[in-house]
Amino acid sequence: MRKAMRPICTVLLLVLLLGAGAVIALAGGEPEPEGEPIPEITLFTTTESYDPIRYEAAFLIQDAWEELGFQVNVEPMEFSTLLQYFYDEQDFDATILGWSGRVDRLDPQHFLGTLHGGQTDLGANNPGGYENPEYDALFTQQEREFDPDARREIVLQMQEIAASDAPLDVLFYRDEVVGYNDERFENFVAMAGEAIYNEWTPYEVTPLGDDLTLTIGTSQEPDTINPLDSTSVWGWKFMRMYYDKLVRLTPEIEPDPWAAEEIIEVDDRTVDVIIRDGMEFHDGEPVTVEDIKFSFDYFIENDFAYFRPFFGPIDEVEIIDSSTVRFHLEEPYSPFITVTLSQIVILPEHIWSEIDNPSDLAPDEIPTVGSGPFQFETYDRGEYKALSVFEEHFSAGDIAIDGIDYITYADSEGVFTGLVTGEIDMTAWRMEPGQISIAEDEDHISVVTVGDFGYYHLTYNLRREPFNDREVRRALAHAIDRETIIDVLLEGRGEPGYSVIAPINSFWHNPDVERFDFNLDRAREILEDAGYTWDAQGRIYAPQS
Amino acid sequence: MIRLIVNKLLQMLFTLWVILTVLFFLFRLGLPDPTVALVTDGLSPEDRALVTERFGLDRSLPMQYVVYLGNVATGEFGRSFHYNAPVTAIVAERVANTLVLMIPAFLISYIVGPLLGVLLAWKRGSRLEAGGITAGLVFRSAPMFWVGMLLIMLFGIRLGWFPTSGMRTFPYEAAHFFDKIFTLNFLHHLILPTIVISLYYTGLPMLIMRNAMLEVMGEDFIEFAEARGLSKARIMYRHAARNALLPVVTQAAITAGLAVGGQVVVEVVFSWPGLGLEMFNAVRTSDYPLAQAAFMLMAAIILVLNFAADVVYGRLDPRVSYSSEGAGG
Repeated sequence: MRKAMRPICTVLLLVLLLGAGAVIALAGGEPEPEGEPIPEITLFTTTESYDPIRYEAAFLIQDAWEELGFQVNVEPMEFSTLLQYFYDEQDFDATILGWSGRVDRLDPQHFLGTLHGGQTDLGANNPGGYENPEYDALFTQQEREFDPDARREIVLQMQEIAASDAPLDVLFYRDEVVGYNDERFENFVAMAGEAIYNEWTPYEVTPLGDDLTLTIGTSQEPDTINPLDSTSVWGWKFMRMYYDKLVRLTPEIEPDPWAAEEIIEVDDRTVDVIIRDGMEFHDGEPVTVEDIKFSFDYFIENDFAYFRPFFGPIDEVEIIDSSTVRFHLEEPYSPFITVTLSQIVILPEHIWSEIDNPSDLAPDEIPTVGSGPFQFETYDRGEYKALSVFEEHFSAGDIAIDGIDYITYADSEGVFTGLVTGEIDMTAWRMEPGQISIAEDEDHISVVTVGDFGYYHLTYNLRREPFNDREVRRALAHAIDRETIIDVLLEGRGEPGYSVIAPINSFWHNPDVERFDFNLDRAREILEDAGYTWDAQGRIYAPQS
Repeated sequence: MIRLIVNKLLQMLFTLWVILTVLFFLFRLGLPDPTVALVTDGLSPEDRALVTERFGLDRSLPMQYVVYLGNVATGEFGRSFHYNAPVTAIVAERVANTLVLMIPAFLISYIVGPLLGVLLAWKRGSRLEAGGITAGLVFRSAPMFWVGMLLIMLFGIRLGWFPTSGMRTFPYEAAHFFDKIFTLNFLHHLILPTIVISLYYTGLPMLIMRNAMLEVMGEDFIEFAEARGLSKARIMYRHAARNALLPVVTQAAITAGLAVGGQVVVEVVFSWPGLGLEMFNAVRTSDYPLAQAAFMLMAAIILVLNFAADVVYGRLDPRVSYSSEGAGG
């Protein structure tokens, strides 16, 4: 009996062993991984309190990437610390950040530059370190192309190259949702990137009652109102109303000769500007070609860094006659009229020529005399600013209001309460998702939604493995669920992104770039084709080199 | 006495120096580079280096420390990185705004609170006591931003009785600071935030006073006073209260010092342009000079008030003596 059992036991044992082996082999489903396992990826994002959307998006992305076998660690960080790791130290694997849509960035120069091989140094605009000689050559070419249509062709091509290389994933363009009091004013102008807080709203709004002063609520404070020291959008959005410019960009972002009567492109390095007759500064002095030359020279002499991208290409400013200024450029620079002439403001020479170190001015010494359509009245830091219409300005007849008041609040909640109680007539910046539905229910508030051309992105550090492998980036791009981010986190108020030039910037945007739809199977396929393997636990391994 | 004061002053100076040093290194080692935010404004690395140089941040840390110490010794607190304006002017303006909010709230709390505390001790075991303690604890524990938002919703938005933000209605005419605050409009703006802070502050002195009173009431001299036939109110408010006041004074000194820094939360909810809000922003933007000056001011005031509290002790309780022999303790 006992002896008879032995072979049976042996057979049973063998079957068991084989079975177990087969189960293990089946579970693996893959050949044994050969290369090194891919190290854990750390994904930097903002803290929840700074921006709940980028914070939550990081965890969504983490889930999908982990399904592909990557090990992902999300690390939320205080905003300036995040900037420091990303820009200054380039010490990151992958980071979620954003670029804000500032009007001068509607010209493709800036955003295309964030992928330029010449800007990969520490602290520069291309921290991911993407370098593609073909892309870089086209960058230089478009910069020098004065013909918009020819330049557009190059810009479209560059977007195509960059999209397929996937050095970063543009996640989404977030809609600006702002509100205004429709019982007091109508005809607000909406503009890409700036919503209704733009240069044109004060021209177009029509008061519906006796109150002729447009009151704007904001939680953003200018850093300073010194035009040779302010490096923030919030300083310039205020100052541009009382300083004039040679060109203003229309709501459709076309250059509109403003203080300039006419702009003549003499050749691709020479631009003549004929100024308008009879302009005055707010103190009654006339605006002359000397003031124009002085302003440009002054910003250049003081080497005002914030404006350097604008005046950088200028070689010399020359006075031709009493109404003509000639700009000599060092090399052809296509954004000269749209960016340079529309951003650099006109300063009164008789005031600023006496000031030697303008960036050291004490707050109460800062001159506020400009020649713009509005004149400066008051600035109480942290509380209040006021402008009044400058009746001598050539455009004053088009303005229906008598001035602008700005009330500063501590946060967006304060701004919103001000809009609800009627203390302010419009918000300068977007409302939070929770506030929008309340605003929509209020009888006296109209809600406006405007697309943005700034974008939120996830950038890889191409100096590190596995992001140096184009195929990995393309696979990871397929593992980002943009639709869910927009539908759930943004409550539908945004658009998925595929290019650094947003669709709302329709002239320069390329709608035909490669799109990476959310598709984990496709992602896996790409990785497999590139030689990546997985172990029994599903962890991904690099191809054997 | 003079020697004592000199001694105390020297001690205070030493403490201030220690705090200054800690703050200096804490901010520099703990906060990110203040120029990093300039990147998103489009400044190139070379331009940022210039800004770093202008801020004096290109020098070594010990060197910066020596320079800073020298400046502070001569009353120079530097320029704010963010506003590029002298820190002293910013802090002075902000601290004034905070004080006009905090002083009324502080006075209300530290007058009403102890009086209520006496009452609670007197009516021990009654419903009044239970209700008083509960109310004190509730307002002490309720987050101020929440109470503030409720008041804004009710009185500001629904009823429209009070303004919801800021110190005054714009535009306004004012020649100087006192012009700004001696107006009905200002008082109107002051009411809601003062209520919020007072509700929060009152609980502590009230409960401390009640506890101290209960201890004092068990002592012989109270029994003796009762035996003399003095009225209950007189015993409570004259005899017992005076003896129970010591811990309240200590607490008042600490609260007052912290109050100079404002209540960040209340300043945010009511958009009150005070020092608390400014300190919060200074830390957020790594504005070292501004943050240091603001925190130093708070530290200095706490030290001074503690010193004052020590002196007041002597007057309230003759058993506390300051003889340099240290006999009376």
